[in-house]
Amino acid sequence: MKDIVSVDHLRVEFATDSGPVVGVEDVSFTIAPGETLCVVGESGSGKSVTSLSLMRLVEFGGGTITAGTLNFIRADGSTLNVAAATPEVMGQVRGNEIGMIFQEPMTALNPVFTIERQLTDGLMLHKGLDQAAATARALELLRSVRIPEPERRLKQYPHELSGGMRQRVVIAMAMACEPKLLIADEPTTALDVTIQAEILALINRLKRDTGMAVLFITHDMAVVAQMADRVVVMYRGRIVETGTVQQIFEAPREDYTKALLAAVPKLGEMKGKSAPERMRLIGDEAARAAQAAPKARKREVLLDVRNLTTRFPVKGGILRRTVAQVHAVEDVSFTLNVGETLALVGESGCGKSSCGRSILRLIEPTSGEVWIGGRDIGNLNRHHLRKARADMQMVFQDPFASLNPYRRLKDQVAEPIQNFNLASGAELEARVLQLFDRVRLPREFLNRYPHELSGGQRQRVAIARALAVNPKLIVADEAVSALDVSVQAQVLNLMMELQEDLGLSYLLISHDMAVVERVAHQVGVMYLGRIVEIGPRAAVFDNPSHPYTKSLLSAVPIADPSKRRFADDLSFKPITSPIFPLGHQPAPSVYDQIAPGHFVLRA
Amino acid sequence: MTYIINRLLSVILTLFLITLVTFAVTNILPGDVAMMIMGTQSNPEALSGLRQSLGLNDPLLVQYGHWVGGMVSGNWGNSLIFKKPILELLSQKAVASAIIVIMSMMIALALAIPLGVWAAVHRDRWQDTVSSSSALLGVSLPDFFWGIVMILVFARWLGWFPSSGFVEPSVNFWGTLQHAFLPSLALGLGLMAHLTRMTRSTMTGILSQEFIRVARAKGLAERTVVWRYALANAIGPVITIAGLQIGYLFGSIIVMESLFGYTGMGWLTYQALLNRDLPLIQDTVFVIAAVVMLTNLAVDLLYIVIDPRIRLG
Repeated sequence: MKDIVSVDHLRVEFATDSGPVVGVEDVSFTIAPGETLCVVGESGSGKSVTSLSLMRLVEFGGGTITAGTLNFIRADGSTLNVAAATPEVMGQVRGNEIGMIFQEPMTALNPVFTIERQLTDGLMLHKGLDQAAATARALELLRSVRIPEPERRLKQYPHELSGGMRQRVVIAMAMACEPKLLIADEPTTALDVTIQAEILALINRLKRDTGMAVLFITHDMAVVAQMADRVVVMYRGRIVETGTVQQIFEAPREDYTKALLAAVPKLGEMKGKSAPERMRLIGDEAARAAQAAPKARKREVLLDVRNLTTRFPVKGGILRRTVAQVHAVEDVSFTLNVGETLALVGESGCGKSSCGRSILRLIEPTSGEVWIGGRDIGNLNRHHLRKARADMQMVFQDPFASLNPYRRLKDQVAEPIQNFNLASGAELEARVLQLFDRVRLPREFLNRYPHELSGGQRQRVAIARALAVNPKLIVADEAVSALDVSVQAQVLNLMMELQEDLGLSYLLISHDMAVVERVAHQVGVMYLGRIVEIGPRAAVFDNPSHPYTKSLLSAVPIADPSKRRFADDLSFKPITSPIFPLGHQPAPSVYDQIAPGHFVLRA
Repeated sequence: MTYIINRLLSVILTLFLITLVTFAVTNILPGDVAMMIMGTQSNPEALSGLRQSLGLNDPLLVQYGHWVGGMVSGNWGNSLIFKKPILELLSQKAVASAIIVIMSMMIALALAIPLGVWAAVHRDRWQDTVSSSSALLGVSLPDFFWGIVMILVFARWLGWFPSSGFVEPSVNFWGTLQHAFLPSLALGLGLMAHLTRMTRSTMTGILSQEFIRVARAKGLAERTVVWRYALANAIGPVITIAGLQIGYLFGSIIVMESLFGYTGMGWLTYQALLNRDLPLIQDTVFVIAAVVMLTNLAVDLLYIVIDPRIRLG
C-alpha cells in the first residue's frame, strides 16, 4: 500500500539573533496507512519540530523549512508537498485531513469558549455543516472518546473538566473530520499513569476503528514499546536509527539507541532482587560493578511518622471563613531507616507532596508526630526548628525554578552553610569545592549562573545545596521527573552513590513506578491522603494487594514491546474529591499485616 | 451569585469609608462656610448666628450625620458660588462629563486594542517598535499639551470642531458630541499607552499558549485565531486597566474641561476649589469617588460575562 506520508531530507532552520540555527536536518521517514510510527528522542532532539513541520505549524514558532519534501497523500488521492503548500491549502489540510493532539490538556482548550463551540467550529469550517448538524456530530465524537455525560459536557467550559477528560476532548477535536493521519505530540506526558493508560488505549482503538495512521511523538521508551509499529530514534536534530519496534528494542544497532534503552527502567525487572540497583548506563559498567554489596547496616530508624494529618482550609462566604477542608494527608504513619530509601508513590493530588512538606514543617501539619533521630519535630519552636532543618533537606522537581537565577552557583551552594554558620572563609570555599566534586560538577561551574546549565546539571547543584549542611534526611519531591531519561539515570545513580557513602536516607516522592522499583527499599502507595499499602519494595511490587496498588501497577507502560497492555478500552475509577465538610472525622487508618512489614489498608 | 452579593457589600462598605474621608478632609481645609457666605467684612454676631443656623457649631459627628442623612434623602445642600441646589448642579454636569469620559475611553480602546494586537502578532519586529513608540508618545506628553495641539490643528487650522464650549445634550445632542470630541481625543491619547502595552503583553502571552496551536491545528484562519480565540482571552485584563483608568480620567478632566471651557464635573470641581465652596467640594469629591468605585464594580461584573471561570467561583 502506498505510504500516506513520505518525508524526504527535511531541514528546518530557526532564525536567531546570531544567525540561523538548524532545528532538524536530513530527516527522512515514511508512514503507511493504519500504521503507528513513533518518533522518540530526548529534549532538543527535533522530534516536535518534525511533527510541527508536517502541519506547517513550525513557522509560528519562528522555524522555516529550508530543504526537503513532505509528501502527503490527500483525501482525493493527489499528492501534496506540504513544504511548498500555500496557506490556503494548509488551511484545508489542517484539522481536516491531518489531526493533531498536544501535550498539555490543561491548556489545549480555549478557557473562554464552551466545549461545543470548540468542537463544532472545525466541523463547520471543513465539512460545511450547519450548527445543528455540527452539534450532533460533536456529541457523537464525545461518545466515541467515552466521555461520561457527553450532553452536559457540550455546554461546559474547559475548567469544569478534569485533565483526562480535556485530553479526550482534544482527541475528539482532532478526530472530528476523520483525518487520515493523527499526529500525537507527547499526548500523555502531562497525565497520571492511569489516565495515560486510558488515553493510549483510546488512541489504539480509534486507530483500529478508522484505519488512520498515527505519528506519535514521545520521549518515553516505555510508551514507544506499547504503541509503535515502527520507531524513528532522533538525537540532536537527526535520525539515529529507524526500524520496527521489535528491531529497536531487541537488536538496536546504534550506540545512542542502546544507551537510551539501557537507561530506561523496566517495570518488573527487579523481580527476585532484594536490594536496589543502580541504573544501567552504557560506559558506566565499571562504576556499576564497583557498587558495594549492600552493607549489612544495622537497621536503625531515622524518621518516624505517626498519624500525620494535614488539612487545608477551603475559604468561602463574605467573611472568608473556612467552609470545608481538603484532607491532603490523612492519618499517615511509617518509618524510614538510616541509609534507606522510602518511596511514596501515587497520582497527582494523592497527598504525597503535602506529606513530604508536612514532615519538614514547610507546611504545618494538623496533627500527628514526626520524629527525626529521636527528636520530635512537631514540638520544636521556631528557633530549634531552624536548627533542626540542617538535618532535613529537600530537592524539588523543577531545577529551573528552585535555583535563584541572579546568583552564582557557588554562592547558592554556600548559602545554607553560611546560614547555619558551619564554615567561613577558606574553609567555606573548600567545602563548596568538595561539594561540586561530590556531585561531579566541573569546577568551572562555580562562577556560573543557573541559566548556563542543563537541567541535569542544575539538579546536581540542587543536590549539592541540599548536601551542604550534612543532612541525615533528604526529601526528594519528583526530583528526577523533569529530566531526560539518560540524565535521570545519572542523577539517580549519583543519589544512590551518595546514600551508600554518606548513609543518607531518602524520602523519594515519585509517580514513576519503574524508577521506584529500581531505587527504593520501602514503598508506600498513597491514595486520597492515606497510605493504602506499604512494605518492602519486593513485597509491594511482587504481591500488590490493595485494589488501588493493583490498578496503578497495571497501568504502568512497560518498556518491552512483547508485553503490550493497552489494546482495549480501559477505564479506571476516577479519584474522588478529598474535600470534606468541616467537622468531618474520617475513620483512622487500620492495616492488616499480610507479610513481614507489608501492610494493607483495611477497607 | 454569592460573588455579586459579596462585591455589593464591599461597595457599600467602601462608600461609607469614602464619606468619612471626604468629610474629614473638607473639615480640615482652611475656610469658614459662614464667612464665605457673608464675606470677610461681615458683622461677627450675624456670622455666629449663621453658623448656628447652618449647624456649624454642632459636634462634628452630628454635622457628619446631617451631611450623610441629607445625601440619602436627596437634600445635598446649596452651592455657595452658584446659589443653586448642589444635586441639580451635579446631575447636570455629571452627564456632560460622562460623555467625555466614555468617549475618551472608547477612543483609547479603539486605538489601543488594534495597535496592541498588531504589536503582539509581529512581536520583536518593526511593527512592535512602531506600536510601542506611538503609544509612548501619547503618554509622555501631558494631556493639556495634546489639548492645545487639538485646538490648534482641528479647531484653528482645519476648523472641523469647535475649540471650546459646551452644548446641553437636550438642546442639540450632535452639538454636545462635537464639543466633547477634541477634549476626549486629547484624553484618549494619554490613556492609550497603558492599554496598548497591556493588550500587547497579554496577547503575547496568550498567543504562545497551547490552545492557540490547537486552534491553528484545526485549520482555522489566522485572523480567527488572533481576533476570536486569542483576543477573547486578552480582553479581561485590558478592561480591568481601563476601569482603573477611569479614576485617573476624573483627575484629568479637571484640567481638560477647563482648557476647553467644557462645563462638566471637572470644570465644576475647579470652580469649587477656586472659590472654596466647601459644601460643593465635599459633594463633588464624594460623587467622583463613588463613580470611580462603581465603575470598578461594573468592570468586575463585566468580567463574569467575559470569563466563565469566575462564574462558579
